[in-house]
Amino acid sequence: MKIMVCLKQVPHQDARLDINADGTWIQEDNIKFEINSYDTYALEEALRTKDAGEADVFVVSIGPDRVGQALRTALGMGADRAIHVNDDEANGSDSLGLAKILAAVAKQENPDLIFMGLMSDDDNSAAVAPMLAQLLDIPHTTAAVKVERSNGTVTCDREIEGGAHEVVELTAPCLIAVQTGLNQVRYASLKGIMAAKKKPFDVKSVADLGLSGQVGTGAAKVKIDRIAPPLKGDTAEILSGSTAEVVAGLVSKIKELGLL
Amino acid sequence: MSTEDWRRIDLYAPTPEHRAFRDTLDEFVEREVEPQAAEHDRNETFNHDLFRRAADLGLLGVTLPEEFGGADLDATAAVILYEALSSSDPGFALAVLAHSILFAQNVNVNGNDEIRQHVLPRAISGEWIGGLCMTEPEVGTDVLALRTQAKRDGNDYLIDGRKTFITNGGIDEHTLGDVFVVYAATGEREISAFVVEKGMGGLSLGQHWKDKLGMRASFTAELVFDGVRVPATNRMGAEGEGTLAMMRNLEIERLTLAAMSVGIARRCVSVMLDYAGQRKTFGVPIREHGQVQRYIAESFAEYRAAASLVFDVARRFDLSQTGQRIEADAAKLFACQVAKRAADAAIQVLGGYGYMGEYVVQRLWRDAKLLEIGGGTLEAHQKNLVKDLSRDPARVRA
Repeated sequence: MKIMVCLKQVPHQDARLDINADGTWIQEDNIKFEINSYDTYALEEALRTKDAGEADVFVVSIGPDRVGQALRTALGMGADRAIHVNDDEANGSDSLGLAKILAAVAKQENPDLIFMGLMSDDDNSAAVAPMLAQLLDIPHTTAAVKVERSNGTVTCDREIEGGAHEVVELTAPCLIAVQTGLNQVRYASLKGIMAAKKKPFDVKSVADLGLSGQVGTGAAKVKIDRIAPPLKGDTAEILSGSTAEVVAGLVSKIKELGLL
Repeated sequence: MSTEDWRRIDLYAPTPEHRAFRDTLDEFVEREVEPQAAEHDRNETFNHDLFRRAADLGLLGVTLPEEFGGADLDATAAVILYEALSSSDPGFALAVLAHSILFAQNVNVNGNDEIRQHVLPRAISGEWIGGLCMTEPEVGTDVLALRTQAKRDGNDYLIDGRKTFITNGGIDEHTLGDVFVVYAATGEREISAFVVEKGMGGLSLGQHWKDKLGMRASFTAELVFDGVRVPATNRMGAEGEGTLAMMRNLEIERLTLAAMSVGIARRCVSVMLDYAGQRKTFGVPIREHGQVQRYIAESFAEYRAAASLVFDVARRFDLSQTGQRIEADAAKLFACQVAKRAADAAIQVLGGYGYMGEYVVQRLWRDAKLLEIGGGTLEAHQKNLVKDLSRDPARVRA
C-alpha cells in the first residue's frame, strides 16, 4: 500500500505575528515554523499503517526552502520519502492552485490513500482536501476522528454537529482529512532524524508537474486583499475587585442585559 | 563560504538534524519532562521510566558511535540536549548527563574495543544505568590524593575504598546503579580507571544522600568497595593512566554542564518575563517598573552571552581530541554563575510566589547552585584557566 501525506508548514503557534508591508500576509522573517497540527495527526495515522507492515509512506509539501525542515521532521518520524514542490511560481496559489499541485503529484505516484489535515492552522480554509479529492475523482471524507482499514476499504468516524459521529465507508483509492486528537503523535526520535538524512528527498518544480501557468498568483481566483488584526473596540467591560465582587458584578450584568 | 551563507549560520542549531533534534526535545520536554519534574524534586526520586523513554528517543547516545546504537553527533547536539532538559528538570538532566557523558562517553574515549562493545550498547539502550566514581569522603578536587586503592591480584584487581556524591550510584533506596567508571590509586599519586559492574562481589550501595539543596530528581549515593574483584581487562588504558583518562573526558563534561546552566537561565528569563507582564502593582504590570526591568534585562543579556559562549565552544569542539580545556572551563565558569543569578532574579521578580515550591524558579535556584560545585568547582575552573592561559597567552584573544 502506498500512502501520500500532505503537509503544510505554518507559523509556530507561539510565534508573534506581524503583518507584512503591503498588508497581504504576515511577516515571515525571523519567526519559527512548524508542521500544521492537523497534518501531524494525518502523518501519525499513515505511520501507524506503515508500522503494521503494510505501507510505503511519502510526504508532500509546497513552499520555499524552509518547508524542507517540515519534510525532514516527517522523515525523522518515519515517513519513507519526501517530495518538496519548491518553486516561486507556486507562490500566491489559492486553495485550488494548491490542490492542483497536490493532484499532479498524486497522479505521478498513484497512492492508495491520501491523508491530510482537515484544515491548516494559519488560514483555516478547509478547502484543499475536498478540492484535491474532486480533481482526482476519488472519494473523500473530512473531520475524521477514527480510521479503520480493511481490505480495500476504509471506515471512518467523522465528527459532526452536536458531538455526534457519522460513520462512513470509503473504497480506496480515497482521501481522508483528519481532525486533531485522533491519535497520539510520535516524536522524531534521534535515530529517526539520523536515518532521515539517507531517505529520498525529491524537489520538484511547477513545470515538472506540468502545471506551468496554471497555479500561483496569476491563476488564483481567490486573492488576499488585506489582512488585519481585530479592531480594538470599547465594547468590552473588565470587571475588577475581589472574586465575590466580580461574580456579583457579572450576575447583575447578565440580569441587566436580560440574558437569564 | 559566501558572505551570505556565513550570516545564515544558526549557531544554536546549525544543521537540519540539529533543528529537528531541538524540535523533538522541545516536545518531549513539554509533554513528558515538565509534568513530572516538581513531583520527583519533592520526593527526591529518580524517574527511571522517564529515563527509559529518553533511551527510546535516542537521548542517551547522542555523542556515541552508531555501531553501538548511538547517533554519533557532535558537541553541539549534546549541548542542545542538556540545555533543553535542564530548562525544565535539571535534576533529571543531571542523571542523564552522569550516565551518558560522565560514564558512557568516558568509556567511549578511554575504553578499548572490547569494553566499549560490552558496555555501550547496554548504556545507550538504557538497559544499564551508569555513573562516575571520582569523589571520596575526604578527597574532591585534589584527585591525585584519592584513597581508594586497586591492588593487582593475578588477572584481577581488588578495589577497596569509598566513593561519594555519586550521581546514579543507585536507582532507588534499595537498588544499586548498574555500572561505573571508577578511579582508584594503583600507586603513589598514580591512578587508574576501571569499569566496575553491579554483581562484582564487594560492591554495595552506601548512604543515599537525602535532603540535597537541589538536583533532587537525581539519585546521589555513596558506594562502598570492599575488596571488589575486577578483571584486569576492565581497566581502561594502561595502569597509572587514569589521570589522562580523566582529562580526556573533562572537557565535554564541563561543556554539557555549562549547557545545563544555559537551560536554567533561559527558563528563568521566560518565567519572569511572563509573570512581570501579568502581575500588577500600583495599577500597572510590574514590568513597567525600572527595578523589575533591570532584573529581566540583565538576566536576558547574561543568558544570551552564556548561550553564545557555550554554543560557540561547542561548535569548535572535537570530541576525539583534548586541548579545549580553556574554553570548556570558561564556558562552565561563566554559565553556572549566570544561571544562579538569573534564578535569583526570577525569585525576586516573582516575590513571595517565587519563594514557594509550587513555582518553578525556586527549584531552578536550588538546582543552579550545584553547577558551581559539581564537575569542577568555580575555584577549580579559575585555577585551571589562569594556569592554562599563562602557559599560552596567545589564547586570551577570542
